[in-house]
Amino acid sequence: MAESGGGRGDGGDKARDEFLSEAQELVDGLGRDLLHLEEGLKRGRLDAELINDIFRAVHTLKGLSGLFGATRMAGLSHELEDVLDDLRLGRIELTSAVLDLLFQAVALYARILASEGGNGVDPAVEVEQLLVALGQFSQRRAGSAAGVVSQYELDPGLLGVLTEYEEHRLRTNIQQGQGLYRIRVRFSLATIDSALDDLKAKARPHGEIITYLPTGTGADIDTIELEILIASRASVEVLRGAITGSDVRIDEVRRRTGSSGPPDLRVSLQPATVAQPIVPPAGEDPSLPPHEAAKVPTQGPPPPGPPSLLPSLPLPGGAGPVLGPPEMSLRSVSQTVRVDIRKLDRLMTVVGELAIVRTAISNLTDLVRRRGIDGRELAIELARLNRTFDRHLSQMQSGILEVRMVPLGQAFDKLARVVRQISREHGKEVNLVVTGAETEIDKLIVEELSDPLMHMIRNAIDHGTEPREERRAVGKPPVGTIALNAFQKGNQVVIEVEDDGRGMDPVVLLEAAVRRGVVTREEAKELAPHEVLALVFRAGFTTKKVATDLSGRGVGLDVAKTNIGKIGGVVDITSEVGIGTKMTITLPITLAIINVLLVEIGARLFAVPLASVKEAIALDESQVRTVDSREVLTVRGASLPICRLARLFGIRGHARERQRAFVVVAEAGTRSLGFVVDELVGQQDIVIKALGKSLKSVRGFAGATELGDQRVALVIDVAALIEEVLLPAETRFLASAAEGARN
Amino acid sequence: MVALVRARERRAVRRAGEAGRRVEYLAFVLAGETYAVQIAHIAEILRPPPITEVPRAPATMLGVTSVRGKLVTVISLRRRLALPEAAVDRRSRILLADLGKGEQLGLLVDEVQQVWRLAPEEMEAASVLGGEQPAHLAGIGRPSGADGTVLILLELRPILESP
Amino acid sequence: MRRVLVVEDSVSARAYVRAVLESPEFSAAYVPCEVVEAHSGFDAMRLLPRGPYDLIVTDINMADINGLELAHFIRNSERHRTTPLVIISTLRGELDVERGMALGADAYLAKPFTREELSETCGRLLLLTAGVVEHRSDPPAGGP
Repeated sequence: MAESGGGRGDGGDKARDEFLSEAQELVDGLGRDLLHLEEGLKRGRLDAELINDIFRAVHTLKGLSGLFGATRMAGLSHELEDVLDDLRLGRIELTSAVLDLLFQAVALYARILASEGGNGVDPAVEVEQLLVALGQFSQRRAGSAAGVVSQYELDPGLLGVLTEYEEHRLRTNIQQGQGLYRIRVRFSLATIDSALDDLKAKARPHGEIITYLPTGTGADIDTIELEILIASRASVEVLRGAITGSDVRIDEVRRRTGSSGPPDLRVSLQPATVAQPIVPPAGEDPSLPPHEAAKVPTQGPPPPGPPSLLPSLPLPGGAGPVLGPPEMSLRSVSQTVRVDIRKLDRLMTVVGELAIVRTAISNLTDLVRRRGIDGRELAIELARLNRTFDRHLSQMQSGILEVRMVPLGQAFDKLARVVRQISREHGKEVNLVVTGAETEIDKLIVEELSDPLMHMIRNAIDHGTEPREERRAVGKPPVGTIALNAFQKGNQVVIEVEDDGRGMDPVVLLEAAVRRGVVTREEAKELAPHEVLALVFRAGFTTKKVATDLSGRGVGLDVAKTNIGKIGGVVDITSEVGIGTKMTITLPITLAIINVLLVEIGARLFAVPLASVKEAIALDESQVRTVDSREVLTVRGASLPICRLARLFGIRGHARERQRAFVVVAEAGTRSLGFVVDELVGQQDIVIKALGKSLKSVRGFAGATELGDQRVALVIDVAALIEEVLLPAETRFLASAAEGARN
Repeated sequence: MVALVRARERRAVRRAGEAGRRVEYLAFVLAGETYAVQIAHIAEILRPPPITEVPRAPATMLGVTSVRGKLVTVISLRRRLALPEAAVDRRSRILLADLGKGEQLGLLVDEVQQVWRLAPEEMEAASVLGGEQPAHLAGIGRPSGADGTVLILLELRPILESP
Repeated sequence: MRRVLVVEDSVSARAYVRAVLESPEFSAAYVPCEVVEAHSGFDAMRLLPRGPYDLIVTDINMADINGLELAHFIRNSERHRTTPLVIISTLRGELDVERGMALGADAYLAKPFTREELSETCGRLLLLTAGVVEHRSDPPAGGP
């Protein structure tokens, strides 16, 4: 029998893809839960349910990675699971040291997943180090006797169906003096999932649900009766008031002996409240330099491993500044999208409508064949069907696009972890405040955004935010704030990354730019203030004298800008010294289908994305002036630079003798440019496709689209053309203006 | 009866053995000369659909066209091989070249002829032409029993990789 | 065709078990199988009346109704009182396994288990209940 691994062949590949996808989700959830846990800890609350969720996630990851031969991940999960098991069973205490190790584990998971997906190197060394550190925490202690449980009038068989964890929770709750209640509910099996969620939501504020026991024999195939054991400080009346329903009965589980009331509680175990904005991460007590923090004594287990593990790992070479782990991408490993099933239902409805149109066409064809229906009638019928078909097709398009949309929160979640890590690396305390996480955008765009956003935030923390003392000295709160805002503006989505740090000084920037050779001293003189700020996006730029991790190596912001450009977006930057800096990203909502203005240039069709078009006007040649070899059109009293595309593209010939031309006024960020075209053809929704790599060197086109009957129209990359045309001109223009002013 | 079957089997085996050593080349005409490329690298042969020029693209790129919804860049083999220009006529064809990884590219040729199965002894390396030969020249093919037909064998990778 | 109910809250773990049990190798060494997936204890309870099933495989550590409670339920039901039952535990979950076996499970697997362990445990149980007393450990002659 041929030996093959876990389901090779088609089945196996699909299973592996599912593995990567599920693992990614689990790791993302892990990160979120850890942040919530830390947030709770800072407020003195220990969320047992969260710890259990985290344990289960790691447990599942362990099982998964074992099945799919991801040994590195399995090994890490194994150790992690032991520590988490000890944590949830109360064998060890959750200290900040342990929490740090957990965060490190999540970061390592992400890197392992990336390397499994073929992106990046297997972080073997770091995993080994983390395993050693984790191993020092894991404890094996015999569980305490089940004596407490037997004090209650519970079904003796109950213990036999509780898992070890559930038993532990039961015991713990009893020891803390919580009352025990039995909720008997009957559910219809068809709706049990949502009905149960409802019940859980009602019950959660009042206590902890220990377990669910199905009663009955299952002979009735439509309903099921459950006995839910819940521990609560509330009285049975309160519970009965909160958890209502026709098939609900709540009874107290009495103690066997006539004992006194519950002892005083020392720690309250409330489950976490639901959905808050991304929690502000913070490091240890910031008054200690980072590497000292590890030695702060904590109760319980022995201090963690060598300080080199916290907060960052040293370079293998040893010497040089302490660096964080090699920069990894925040991109998801898997390309899957979680879809709200209602979106799919709507799509299916449209498909149904389309089927009806198809039948109508088929009937019509029949009629024509049989009766020879007259031309005019046929034309009318066909036109009607065409309109209907068109409408449904549009609905389908929008429906499918909707499916691709995911909330920006997906990218923001990962950034919260990065913020925590970066602020620890730099010893700065930073608050991340997020608004608009529910704003939706195409999944592919979100993926491309993660890394640029990470670079911008890293820049904001590293360069932008001042150290505590400096902030105090100028009267700012010691904790810096980074605001991440997202909102929709018409056909676009705007994302702002704003910090309240020291801002950028154009003078300092310019000096650094000249020193680094990003601009020559002559060019530097001609730059307007907002252009100076934009220099940070040029390759090779840094204001730090010594490169400190990647912020200083001139890698990052330029790549960020390029990547944002690739997805059709632009970046602007504004700043005020002493107040802060704001970077604004403007993006199209979706990559795939865009609304364009079709124009004719020299008998050829081109498409201009309407999102970048401010207006289109007839060209009045009498209003065109030439200023320093650049043509400028006066529009409503203002000057608009124009570009004759036929000339720029080297296209000769006209469809017919031109009396007039048109100007399409396009914008990219703060700049405008008027494109002169021969004819405005119309507005259309098109599917934009990328040009092949062979045409990579050609500037000015974002892609192309098929217009029908195999004609192809190139889609103009407005931002790229504006930059190409205006940038050198601006410099010259300002130079000559300055020259003129001097004379 | 049995003997007949056995003889057929023997012939089939021998043919299979021969076929194993031969490589199939697709021959086409360009500026009066006959060239050939390995057919394994040609995904499709089409009549030229409308080709849209891409402004400011390298001269060897004729433009882009749509093949069943997919955007394909079309290269003029004439320009690539520095041959004189000519108009597209009804015998012109586009060969969709696919090297497995990377883009599919369209190659415009004057006329497609036939497929030859060349054995190693029917092929000569490019070096026989003397001196340094360009990378895209794989060699010369002389199919036997084809009264003097000479095929200029082309190597696709260099053609597809640089404009 | 034997029907196996797999109760497991992880999508890919279910996919893996399905791939193993529905594979030609398993079919050749034991019996051909059809896997029915349940993603939770409740889902399993919905699917149980649609049996009968020749084998039930359930993870212990699931949210809401855990595998032990499901086992208890199964062993108390008319239809599946005697259906072969395999429970899946964590490596350190000896206590859970003890309870599961006490509830009437026939075998257990600890994660991570190998393909061979899964095949053998399930295959053996499937053949035994079919009345085939000796189970095949060697592939049939001339097999792949």
